[in-house]
Amino acid sequence: MSWSSPLPAMALVGAVLVAGSYVVAVLDAAMAGAVAGRRTRLGDAALRPARHAALLLVTRRSGTERPDARAWALAPALLAAMAAVGVATVPLSRDVAVADVADGIVLFGAAMAVVMVGVFLHGWSANSPMPLLGGYRFIALALSYEMPLALVLIAAALPAESLSVGAIVDSQHDLWNVVRQPLGLPLYLVAGTGLAFWGPLDTCDAADLAGGTAVEVSGPARLVWELSRRFVLVAVAVMGAAVFLGGWQGPLLPGAVWMALKALALAALITWLGHRVARVRLERFVVVAWTVLIPLALVDVFVSGAIAL
Amino acid sequence: MTRSLPVDVAFWLFGAGSVLSAWLVFRTDSMVRAAYWLLASFAGVGVVMVLLHARFLGLVLVLMMAGEMTIMAVFMVMFMMNPAGLNPMTMVHQHRTAKVAGVVAFAGLALVGVVGDFPDRPADPSRDPTAALGRELLGDSMLIFEGAGVTLLATMIGALAIAGKRGRYGDAEHGSAPPPLGMAAPTGGGGVGGADAAAGPAGGDEHPGMAGMEHP
Repeated sequence: MSWSSPLPAMALVGAVLVAGSYVVAVLDAAMAGAVAGRRTRLGDAALRPARHAALLLVTRRSGTERPDARAWALAPALLAAMAAVGVATVPLSRDVAVADVADGIVLFGAAMAVVMVGVFLHGWSANSPMPLLGGYRFIALALSYEMPLALVLIAAALPAESLSVGAIVDSQHDLWNVVRQPLGLPLYLVAGTGLAFWGPLDTCDAADLAGGTAVEVSGPARLVWELSRRFVLVAVAVMGAAVFLGGWQGPLLPGAVWMALKALALAALITWLGHRVARVRLERFVVVAWTVLIPLALVDVFVSGAIAL
Repeated sequence: MTRSLPVDVAFWLFGAGSVLSAWLVFRTDSMVRAAYWLLASFAGVGVVMVLLHARFLGLVLVLMMAGEMTIMAVFMVMFMMNPAGLNPMTMVHQHRTAKVAGVVAFAGLALVGVVGDFPDRPADPSRDPTAALGRELLGDSMLIFEGAGVTLLATMIGALAIAGKRGRYGDAEHGSAPPPLGMAAPTGGGGVGGADAAAGPAGGDEHPGMAGMEHP
C-alpha cells in the first residue's frame, strides 16, 4: 500500500502508539491489583489511566533552578518521535506498512539509540541531583542492552537475507523466529525491557532515586513523559511481534488483528514481569549483560547464520 | 532516493541544519550541549547520506553517533571535573592556533573542491548500495577496516584504563576527601601545601585547583 499523503500514515502510527500505551496502562493497573491480591473491577482498571492523566493535566508544573529548558522539553519529544519511527518500519498487516524501508531494522536500531539521548537529556537538563543520577544510570543500562538488542535483530535478519522488517516477517511464513532462534526473543525481551526502562530494569526512574529522571517533572510535562516512555514500550512490543512472532501472519483472523494480539501479548509479558521480578541492581546487570547476554547473542548470530547458509 | 522537489528541499534543509548545529558546538558553554549539537550535526549529515542513496551508511551514522556523543559527553565530564557539565565553561581555547588551523583547513578543502577532478560516474540505481557496501567491507577493504576497528578498540580500553577507579594513576580516591558541605571554601595558598602533604607519593600530578577539596 502506498501513501499518497503523509497525514494518514502519521495518524495511523499515532493511533497505534496512543491506543497501545493506553492498553498497556490498563494492563499495568489490573496486574498491580492482581499481584497485590486485590479484586480490581474491570471498569476501574480501564478508567484508572484516564483519571491519572486528568489529574496530571490539572497539576501545577514544578521547576528547578536554571534548568536547560529546551533540552528538558526535547527529551520526551525525542522518545515519542523515535517510538513513532520504530513503529513506522513495521508492517501492521499484509499490505499496510507506513515505511517498510529496505534498511528497516537499522532504522529501528538508530531510533532506539536516540532514545538513550532522550532519557539522558531528561535527567541531565533538570539541573538536579536525582534526575542526573538517573540519566547516568540509563547510559550504563543502555550501553549494556544495546549490543544484545542489535545482535538479536541482526540474527533475525539473517534467514530473511534482508534488513527490511517486511522481509523478516515474510521469512517466518513456515516457522516463526521464536522457534527457529530460541535465544532471540528472551534476549530481545531483556533488552526491550531495558530500552523502555520498565519493571526490573527501571533503574533510571526508580523509586530508590525518588523517581529518577522524572522526579522534578510534574503536571502536563509528567503526563507527556509517562506517555512517551509507554510509546517506547509499544514500539518494542510491535517490533518484537514482527521479528520473532511472525508479525501479521496467522490463520483465520485478519493480519492486523494478529499483529495487535501478538504485540499486546509481548507488552503484557513485559508488564507482568515488571510486577513479578524485583528491580535488579545496575552494577549486576551491566556485568551480566557483558559477560552473559552479549556472548549468548553472539551465539544466536552464529547459529542463525550457519542455519541460514 | 529519486530526485524530486521534496527531496531537494530536504537535502538543503538538513545540509544547512548540519552546518548551523556544527557552528553551535563552539557557541555553547557546556560539554553536554556541545556533544549533542555535534550529534545534531551528524544526524543532519546522516539524513543527507540517506537522501544520496547511502541509506545504510546514513542510518548507521545516526545509530553510532547517538551512543558515541553520549559516551563522549560522559567521558568529558569525568575528565574535566565538571559534574554534569551544566556549569558554564568556555568551549574554545588557543584562539590563534584554532584560527590558523581553521583557515588552513578551509582553504585546503576549498582548493580540493574547486580544482579537484571529481569522477562523473552515475551509479546503477538497480544496484543495492547496502549489499555493495557489505562486499566491500568483507572483501578488498577488510584489512583496513579490521585494522581501524582494532585500533579504536585499543583506544577505548586505554581511555577506560585511565578513567577507571583503579586506573593508570593509582586509586582514584587516594588522598581525596569529600568536599566540606556547607562551609566556605578554604583559601588557595594554604590548600596547595596541604594537598602536597596529604597526597603523598602519587600526589605529584594533582591539579592545584583541586587543592580546596583536600583536608590539610
